[in-house]
Amino acid sequence: MIAVLAILRESWLYLRSEMLFKVVMGLNVLVIVAYASISFDDTGISLFFGLTHVDSEYVRGGTQFARTLYLGIYSAVIVNFWLAWAASILALISTSSIFPSFLSEGSVELMLSRPTRRTTIFMTKYAGGLIFVMLQVGVFTLGAFLAAGWRVGEWDATIFLAIPLITLFYSYLFCINVFVGVITRSTLVALLATLLFWFGTFGIRTADDLVNHYVIVTESIEARTATRVAQLQKEHDDAVAAGDEKEAKNVAYWLTSPKEEHEQAQTTLGQLRPWAAMLSTLRVIMPETARTLGLLHRSLERDMDMTFQDLRSGRAFEDPEEAAGQDEFDAYWGSGQNQTDTDDERRRKRQRAFNQAEREAAETMIERENAIPAWRIIGKSLLFEALVLGLAIWIFRRRDF
Amino acid sequence: MPAAIQINDVHKTFRRGVKALRGVSMQVDPGQVFCLLGPNGAGKSTLVKILMTVIHASKISGTVLGKPIGHKPTLKRVGYLPERHRFPKYMTAEQALHFYGGLVCMRRKHRLLRIQQMLDLVGMSSWRKHKVGTFSKGMQQRVGLAQALLHDPELLLLDEPTDGVDPVGRRAIRDLILHLRSEGRTILINSHILAELESICDQLAVVVKGRVSLEGTVEDLTRGERRWIVQYRNVDLEWEDVAAESGPAGVRITLPGEDAGLAQPIIDRIRAAGGTITKVSQERESLEDLFMRALELAEDRDGATPGAAQGRDA
Ligand SMILES: Nc1ncnc2c1ncn2[C@@H]1O[C@H](COP(=O)(O)OP(=O)(O)O)[C@@H](O)[C@H]1O
Ligand SMILES: [Mg+2]
Repeated sequence: MIAVLAILRESWLYLRSEMLFKVVMGLNVLVIVAYASISFDDTGISLFFGLTHVDSEYVRGGTQFARTLYLGIYSAVIVNFWLAWAASILALISTSSIFPSFLSEGSVELMLSRPTRRTTIFMTKYAGGLIFVMLQVGVFTLGAFLAAGWRVGEWDATIFLAIPLITLFYSYLFCINVFVGVITRSTLVALLATLLFWFGTFGIRTADDLVNHYVIVTESIEARTATRVAQLQKEHDDAVAAGDEKEAKNVAYWLTSPKEEHEQAQTTLGQLRPWAAMLSTLRVIMPETARTLGLLHRSLERDMDMTFQDLRSGRAFEDPEEAAGQDEFDAYWGSGQNQTDTDDERRRKRQRAFNQAEREAAETMIERENAIPAWRIIGKSLLFEALVLGLAIWIFRRRDF
Repeated sequence: MPAAIQINDVHKTFRRGVKALRGVSMQVDPGQVFCLLGPNGAGKSTLVKILMTVIHASKISGTVLGKPIGHKPTLKRVGYLPERHRFPKYMTAEQALHFYGGLVCMRRKHRLLRIQQMLDLVGMSSWRKHKVGTFSKGMQQRVGLAQALLHDPELLLLDEPTDGVDPVGRRAIRDLILHLRSEGRTILINSHILAELESICDQLAVVVKGRVSLEGTVEDLTRGERRWIVQYRNVDLEWEDVAAESGPAGVRITLPGEDAGLAQPIIDRIRAAGGTITKVSQERESLEDLFMRALELAEDRDGATPGAAQGRDA
């Protein structure tokens, strides 16, 4: 135990001696001060402690909009941009050298020749890096918590959820960093490999989301057109049976467009599905960096009547009944289909139908995301991390120095 | 009393096939100063690192302080000064010693006391608040020694302790080692510098290319290699049957053998001729001579150049 504390203390002294550490801490404070500088009054929003003022009819002091906006800035801008990207890259740069410096010739011998087992040394050093991040996020969230309480009277302790979640997210990257660091003993290579890995997971996730989105859009079009085709086919058959040749011809004419659309959708699905399968397999293997952060948004917005997303899309300002709107699919392919429509009107209807498909797909995606239980997201990622660490420890234990 | 270190047939082949040790056996008795000599690359550091679990041997059997090699808890009783060690340069001398004391599980109170004592012992007390990164090689070496002694170990492994230290510092280290021996500690020293070890080592082994080439006490190894030296000047004499060479200090005669009677006729003859005798002394083989002999032995054995070989063979 004394040995573990000694190693942690040494890591701390090391990080503190790094210039970057001070820079990162300073930047953190700066961002939080900027956040706290936003305030709301009777006429709108004031930024930088009153330096600039934006007049707003809706977003004023004491309104629901102000509250949602303020917390939304935290969850969507500060967490998503600052903590998840900028601060994480800075933290990676400062912690990348922990292992290579510890393993450098002349200093590693003394540590390995003490009674502490190599696995313990490794895990302690690893924990040291994570504690550093935890500390950084901890200071940060405390600032955000106080700012939110002060500015919009929202004393929301869920903000502190950022500490474990960001640390978890960071640990998925840090395990790769340490793995490469142990093998190569090079800070730069370890850093580069980690960034590559990170962009890799980012790329896979983005591609997977995109492909899935289009699979859903195409599936819904395929389903709607299938219904319409079946319906018109029946009308056509009925007309033929009744001997109404004119009607049959007429219906056959109306059938061509949905049929084409249907076939088109099927071809597209055939092309998308193998990609979707490949990407989701890759995604099963990779740790869930984005989804882990997503858990934070989920909890932050859990009790809100209005989300930041609503605010940004403008839906928050719409009349909900009006927004529900009509079924654009029906207007284009369904009962709303009007035989007197001009080509132009038909084109517009088609566009609106597709827009609706996109909107619905986006909602389905969000629902699906929210339906994934937290334990699965975290559990799966931790499994990945454990495997990488296990391999790194195995190599580290067998290594001669 | 069991041996402090006892190893049999240690082999180490590194990845990429470098054979650093090829069957080393030796025994270090408690309370002794044991010197491990050998040219660079002979495998001395590798051997010490194996004892300290920094390197895994390819094949090994033996004990350190009565426990099998690799038994981690035993390492609490062993002090180690690695070759070319570098303390984390962002730490002060005191912080570094706290760190290494912590690694051997010393309590803080105990550490505070021992750190003060050890820094006094190596003469670095006034530097304890300074960053290790600013120290000279010799100062770092002293702090390194303080580190090795911190937890009051029974056995000390010092890898090139005088490396980079000035003559005054070397002398201090030598005295320190003798002091430590007088306290009953066992000390194993690795070195390729011979002269300074001569006066302090009880036992030695010369390692060449991963094998022990000569081993024993200094007494044993240099016995039978005694000789008398007579040196004179101010007279020209012809010598038969004795080795005489003239140098700037006069003529020097070397007489192999231990009997002092050997020198008497020579002295008589010089005095009779009116010469001035400047020196009469008994000498034994120096460690350096011994070292060269070990290299020759290894050369005969392996039929290869003895120097700092790679130890790489088919
Ligand atoms: N970690 C290592 N990996 C590969 N080869 C090594 C390693 N350490 C030492 N060697 C090789 O083993 C041989 C013996 O080295 P060493 O024990 O340091 O010699 P010495 O201390 O006697 O000068 C050298 O040829 C060296 O290159
Ligand atoms: Mg060496």
